[in-house]
Amino acid sequence: MSTFLERMRALPSWQVTLTGALFVLGFLIAAQLAAEGPRIRYTSQERTPLIETALGLQRRQDALQVQILELRAQLAALEASEPGSEAIVRELNAALDRARLAGGLVQITGPGIVFRFEDAANSGSVSDGLVTSHDIRSLVGELWLAGAEAISINGERVTTATAVLDIGNAVLVNSAYLAPPYEIRAVGPSDLYERLTGSAGFVDFIRGRVEPYGLRLSFAELDDVTVAAYAGTVRSRYARPDPAASATP
Amino acid sequence: MKRTRRRWAVTAVTAVLGVLVVAQLRSQAATPGLSALSAQELTLVIANVNTRNEQLRAEVDALERQVATLTATLARGDSATGQLRFDLAAIEAWAGLIAVTGPGISIRISGDIGSEGIEGLLNELRNAGAEAIAVEGVRIVPGTVVYGASGALSVENTPLPASFEIEAIGSPQILTGSLTRSGGVIAQLAATNPDAAISVTPLEAVSIPATERDLVPGDAQPSL
Repeated sequence: MSTFLERMRALPSWQVTLTGALFVLGFLIAAQLAAEGPRIRYTSQERTPLIETALGLQRRQDALQVQILELRAQLAALEASEPGSEAIVRELNAALDRARLAGGLVQITGPGIVFRFEDAANSGSVSDGLVTSHDIRSLVGELWLAGAEAISINGERVTTATAVLDIGNAVLVNSAYLAPPYEIRAVGPSDLYERLTGSAGFVDFIRGRVEPYGLRLSFAELDDVTVAAYAGTVRSRYARPDPAASATP
Repeated sequence: MKRTRRRWAVTAVTAVLGVLVVAQLRSQAATPGLSALSAQELTLVIANVNTRNEQLRAEVDALERQVATLTATLARGDSATGQLRFDLAAIEAWAGLIAVTGPGISIRISGDIGSEGIEGLLNELRNAGAEAIAVEGVRIVPGTVVYGASGALSVENTPLPASFEIEAIGSPQILTGSLTRSGGVIAQLAATNPDAAISVTPLEAVSIPATERDLVPGDAQPSL
């Protein structure tokens, strides 16, 4: 033992530094490989331009969304400045505000829950350990049934036209590409969490899906949860207001 | 001399290490998930994001036109209530606040099928561009969920009959095509629910009522 220590002391300091650095290097490589988990790594050369294209389109999408929100704000301000018959204009603007709020075109803040939903830590090659669009839809459905008033998934508002689809091991929401971990935000009544955890459907979802496959679902109950506005199209190509139906409720 | 060489060795290794650490951190921050997709999946992502961008661009154009027209009308000192009403109707129709009509499809469902299957069908309808959906006359809006086990399905506290209808407005061709394609949602449901019968009929006119829900949040406030 003493000879070992003596030999250690005899080592030049640069060798110790180098050993330390190589250790960290090895650790990083191992961490990188472990982090891949069940997500298969593809190596074909053709993917790089595809990733670049996807990233470019995604950036364009973000810019277009910002532009839409700005134009909507501009339009709302113009509409509010309409100088016509005051009572009618006030009524119309109030109706517009209500419709935008009801449709999810306005960002809102209120009491609620923020979920973080992730793949199983050690899912290995078992695909059941991955969070799918079906899992997200189940959680969103349970939140609606528990009385949630507005929900977003990684900043994409869930609206009347929102589809959640699988794409590889990630999802598409409102046709936007979202990768895990998923942050699902819901605002609703102050007892939203009690209502959710008290429902048979949610308990089944936890016991039948989340726990057996080790999916990681964590949450925080907050007084101020902000749910983003929907920044997509609201124009119908096929649907027209139905003149045969009775007036606006 | 020997000492200098050692220093160079240490410097080189730590430099490589630094580059690796930064690369690792940047790759994790920049494109979560994208690098884990296959070329085929990436193509699908691109197609989807591209389609959405086209819709967003059309929305930007339409909003710009609306802003320009409204600005001109107001500058002339004219009344713009007509434009306000038009904007209101478009948002209300989309959000489910007023009844709408248009071409679309009717889906008749009977037999052994649970709420998961129905929710899957509704999800696929939205993906195929359905602009308004109703289940047995109940408009589907955020918060309206079909729930319950097979034989005990409900929507908005109303039990669904053994045979019920889903109506959707959109392109009858696209809606029918995406539901009934091989490997599509109906083929999958037929495999998992062999005792269920699902039939799709394209229609020239479908009428869908307004929601009876109050969609204006009562517990939350608009925020900037």
